[in-house]
Amino acid sequence: MNEQIRKEIERLEESAIRLRTLGQENPAILKNAEIILTFIYILKFITPITGKEGS
Amino acid sequence: MKYWNPTLETLPRKRLDEIELDYFKNILSYAKAHTLLYREKLKDVAPHDIKTFDEIKKIPLTDKEELRRYQENPPYPYGGILGVDIEKITTFRQTSGTTGKPVYVPESYESWQWRIEAWCHILYMAGFRPHHRIFLPFGYNVYVAFWEAHYASEKLGCELIPGGALDTKGRIHKVIETRANGMMNTPTYGLHIAEEAKKMGIEPASLGIERMLCAGEPMPSATRLKLEEIYRCDVYDHIGGTEPCAWAGMCETKDGMHIIEPFFLVEILDRETLQREVEEGEIGVAVVTPLGRRSFPLIRFNTKDLVVKGEGSCSCGRTSGKIKEVVGRTDDLRKVRGVLFSPKTVEEVIRKEFQEVEEFEIIVERRSLMDVILLRAEVSPQLPLGSIEQTRARLAESLKIATNLSFIVIIEPPGSLPRYMLKAKRFRDMREGEKNE
Repeated sequence: MNEQIRKEIERLEESAIRLRTLGQENPAILKNAEIILTFIYILKFITPITGKEGS
Repeated sequence: MKYWNPTLETLPRKRLDEIELDYFKNILSYAKAHTLLYREKLKDVAPHDIKTFDEIKKIPLTDKEELRRYQENPPYPYGGILGVDIEKITTFRQTSGTTGKPVYVPESYESWQWRIEAWCHILYMAGFRPHHRIFLPFGYNVYVAFWEAHYASEKLGCELIPGGALDTKGRIHKVIETRANGMMNTPTYGLHIAEEAKKMGIEPASLGIERMLCAGEPMPSATRLKLEEIYRCDVYDHIGGTEPCAWAGMCETKDGMHIIEPFFLVEILDRETLQREVEEGEIGVAVVTPLGRRSFPLIRFNTKDLVVKGEGSCSCGRTSGKIKEVVGRTDDLRKVRGVLFSPKTVEEVIRKEFQEVEEFEIIVERRSLMDVILLRAEVSPQLPLGSIEQTRARLAESLKIATNLSFIVIIEPPGSLPRYMLKAKRFRDMREGEKNE
């Protein structure tokens, strides 16, 4: 389950990075994309690879 | 970058209208489905049958008294205005209760973030950017305005200095210590800080404030210019309220205020019937619908703010509608000897023409069936004794010209009138049957 969650977070991260790039000329989009990335950072932090995924 | 959201802020008028009509139907539908207030109030309204703005005008207005009444229902304390499950509520806020029992405002995380996004427009328009270090000289308590300012500044990337739990002198020291270059305050408190700084031997302009955003009171342009002169900084205004949120703000042209569209649908209606949209340049009552807030949906809220409808275009390039000026509150407009009187006119005259007047108070009384209007004016201690009579006479004359009313002017000694941190209460109507603000 944890591995699935991490994969989903990584997909979100890629998408948020693209959004941030697209929003370079729009501070509102840019800032909201950065905020999403902040939460993605927290999501990644709270879902460490435990080493149990494969077991 | 000039705009916070260049896409939204430069949309053609027609497209803004289409979006707002669509958003209005959605929030109306949501409000009917999720709140007791609108389930009962709008039982005969079919949201998705609405096709035009004229049809919106047929939907009844919502007023504060209704909100208070529906809050008597469960769940405590929000009652029938609550638009989400109470467990989704993350912050309690309330109105100031100046006009009666406070209204309790439920904020969910989502709704709060929506509110903050709208507020970012106000700050960005007023020129705040990440290099600003903003001092907020208030303890925010349960009142929403400075919490909004706090979180929106943070979202913009500014650095916030919360200045609660300090007295005015302590705040002045903190501004100096932190080298704050931005401040948000009521106009009254901005003037008071300057007055206190001078008493401490500090020139307000030397505090280094570059940009100031005012809130909480109608600010005559003379007061805004006075603040700019005292602090040698740019001063901006905005308008809002606890229930409808902050819904309009000033851009760099400092000529009126932009409605934050499409976050809010703002109607400016004639004050007699509250049915007709007024023309440009005409005074009307602002009726506001926040179009995306779900924890506390509010449909056509009568703000009782009197505003002058502005132009539909601005040299800044934003396409949103504008209000030219905030006149005051419908509650503050009074008939005195048959003449419609707004206390804001007195402030405009004093700030513009009477630098020697530091504080004032207006009192309306009835003496022997006759309305009498008094102005208590506190003058600067630097004013020579010999000039006091001259100031008194000039005040009476200027106020007569500006208001068509004869004032009894009483000069008060320095430091004798109250000072205010939040909303000033400079107007009292002591006549029987009139509301005493």
